[in-house]
Amino acid sequence: MSIVELQHVRKAYDTKIAVADLSFTIEPGSMFGLLGPNGSGKTSSIRMIIGITVPDSGTISLFGQPFHRSLLKRVGYLPEERGLYKKMKVMDQLTFLGQLHGLSATTASKRAHVWCEKLQITEAIHKKTEELSKGMQQKIQFISTLLHEPELIIMDEPFSGLDPVNAVLLMDTLVDLRKQGRTILFSTHRMDQVEKLCDNICLIHNSHLVLSGSMREIKSRYPVNRVLINFTGDDSFLNHSTIHSAKNYGGHAEIRLKEGADAQALLAAAIVKARVTRFEVMEPTLEEIFIEKVTETSQTPQSAGVHVNA
Amino acid sequence: MHNIWLIARREYLERIRTKAFLVATILIPLLMGGFVFGSGYLASRTKSSAHIVVVSSDANFAADLKHELLTGKSSSMTVDLLAPSTSNGDDTRATLDQNLTSKHGDLTGYLWITPPSQSNTRPAFTYVPRSAGDVTTEDDLSAAIKNVITREGLTRQGMGASDIDALMAPVVIDTSKTGDSRTAFGAAYLLFFLMYMVIMLYGMNTARSIIEEKTSRVFEVMLSTIKPDEMLAGKILGVGSVGLTQIAVWMLAAAALGATPFATNLIGGGHAPISATQIFFFVIYFIFGFLVYSSIAAALGAITNSEQELQQLNMFLVLPLAFCFLMIFVITRAPDSTLAQIVSLIPFCSPLLMNFRISLTTVPPWQIGLSFVLMSLTIVSILWVASRIYRVGILMYGKKPNLSELLRWLKYS
Repeated sequence: MSIVELQHVRKAYDTKIAVADLSFTIEPGSMFGLLGPNGSGKTSSIRMIIGITVPDSGTISLFGQPFHRSLLKRVGYLPEERGLYKKMKVMDQLTFLGQLHGLSATTASKRAHVWCEKLQITEAIHKKTEELSKGMQQKIQFISTLLHEPELIIMDEPFSGLDPVNAVLLMDTLVDLRKQGRTILFSTHRMDQVEKLCDNICLIHNSHLVLSGSMREIKSRYPVNRVLINFTGDDSFLNHSTIHSAKNYGGHAEIRLKEGADAQALLAAAIVKARVTRFEVMEPTLEEIFIEKVTETSQTPQSAGVHVNA
Repeated sequence: MHNIWLIARREYLERIRTKAFLVATILIPLLMGGFVFGSGYLASRTKSSAHIVVVSSDANFAADLKHELLTGKSSSMTVDLLAPSTSNGDDTRATLDQNLTSKHGDLTGYLWITPPSQSNTRPAFTYVPRSAGDVTTEDDLSAAIKNVITREGLTRQGMGASDIDALMAPVVIDTSKTGDSRTAFGAAYLLFFLMYMVIMLYGMNTARSIIEEKTSRVFEVMLSTIKPDEMLAGKILGVGSVGLTQIAVWMLAAAALGATPFATNLIGGGHAPISATQIFFFVIYFIFGFLVYSSIAAALGAITNSEQELQQLNMFLVLPLAFCFLMIFVITRAPDSTLAQIVSLIPFCSPLLMNFRISLTTVPPWQIGLSFVLMSLTIVSILWVASRIYRVGILMYGKKPNLSELLRWLKYS
């Protein structure tokens, strides 16, 4: 049984098509990344999954049943645009949101305290929300989606606007939750985050599905022809015959090898002239795959030159 | 139901705890009390204490006028009599004018009586006041002059002084059988305005509290757990209970104040001007009125995204109330006319007008019942429409919907 299943979902606002023919499934206990640049239809898709809007056509099922509001009790949702009652005290707020999810006031407040401790915001508990920093407010919202211990956690851009320390803290929390067997769906335009976290991804662009499947499987479709070199000294080895193209950032080079070329030959050439501190052979990054996919699916110049915020 | 209760409770507690609520609850009755008692006190004190000079060559007439002015029921005037010094009186006029223009002058004004050129016409009266705005003294003067002239005329017709007094005595109408209709009417008026004020105040509060979710972007979390109609219903109930609490506090304060000897002295005491039935219907119609207008406000809140946009639309809240206000005159004159019966059954008007009619006349029970049914239906249907607009409108923020879009939103599930 899949936790979430979308079949040929389509949604249009007036003349603008937000989501066109989107299908994917999310398996229990997996971390699923919904990827795409800004305005590609991620939020529209998520809003349909949790029933804020209704698809024009296609079907959505949760926990193996067709969508029904009662199923939302098992879902935790963090919207992209964060919102809390500004004048409310943090604990009142968390208790209230917990109660809306069907918890008793005591359970809600007990769990809220545990979470606040875990996310290091205990000192904020008795303050009003408007007095807190944006990062703190985001943590509170994060907690509010988890209080009722949902089986499915849906987060729209959960790490945007956070400093690296807090972003890592929340990522680690998500990884922990996944270990406990929860299913997590999150959207982001940051491809690097997805590479680390996700088992499965779905890449959308201009409201169309570009790529989907398991992270490992997608990567294995591509040849291992990327090389990262950190070096000091002479950079003339970058003209080596195995190299298809190279970007030199001065001491750090990203190289794409020619088809069938051997990376070892390049390494040998490099150590003759320069001092190599790092030499890594790898698959293309998700970002490179994305750009490649987008340019090959749409030949129109403006979408080919799409900018990915990475 | 549980969710509606949660929303309403949050709304209620958050609002009750604000300073604005405390201030309004305490200050408004203080101000109102101050206003009522203050104006009552002032009214009891504002007898005209003017100092007036009457200049007349007719000493008899002047003396009669002085007598009339001094015995007037609400007057404590000082009246001096003067005869013009010369035939045209220029000197006297000059002295009096000088007194009036001088800062230290003690005169409020002077009345100049020019004798008639022919014996059967009235004399001419000229009043020169210190301040042109002193209407009270002018009114007192004109009433007194009229009385004196009437008396003179009657005397000339050969009527005795006692007969004239009997004729000119004020008329008293005995209303003890129907109760004091003036106070009953006043009470109805008071209730009308109280309701009008509270509906305006809290109706707008409901609309604002619905916009709150949009401006703080909480609605997306809320809508992923509860239904929009639960949300709107909870909001209306929560804000409404705050209104009821406030009214209750005010009423209790008024009752407590009304029981003090000071108040009974001023009002006249002895009878309760607002009867228990009136209070009963007031409470019922207040609740219904509040719900009807809150649901309109909720719909306005659902359409708009910000306070500014709301301000532009609040005429939809004000217009029906203004209509009720106009109708109040029709109903006062003929509370049982067909027009009065019809308008008091319109759901937007029932809370104010049916309640008003009930306190003025005997309304058939079926009309009262029908007004309840109509109001309930209106509330439910407005809420139904509003929650649909809310749900769809919320996700299309940024631009204001036009009418055709609103209609299309209704079709969305």
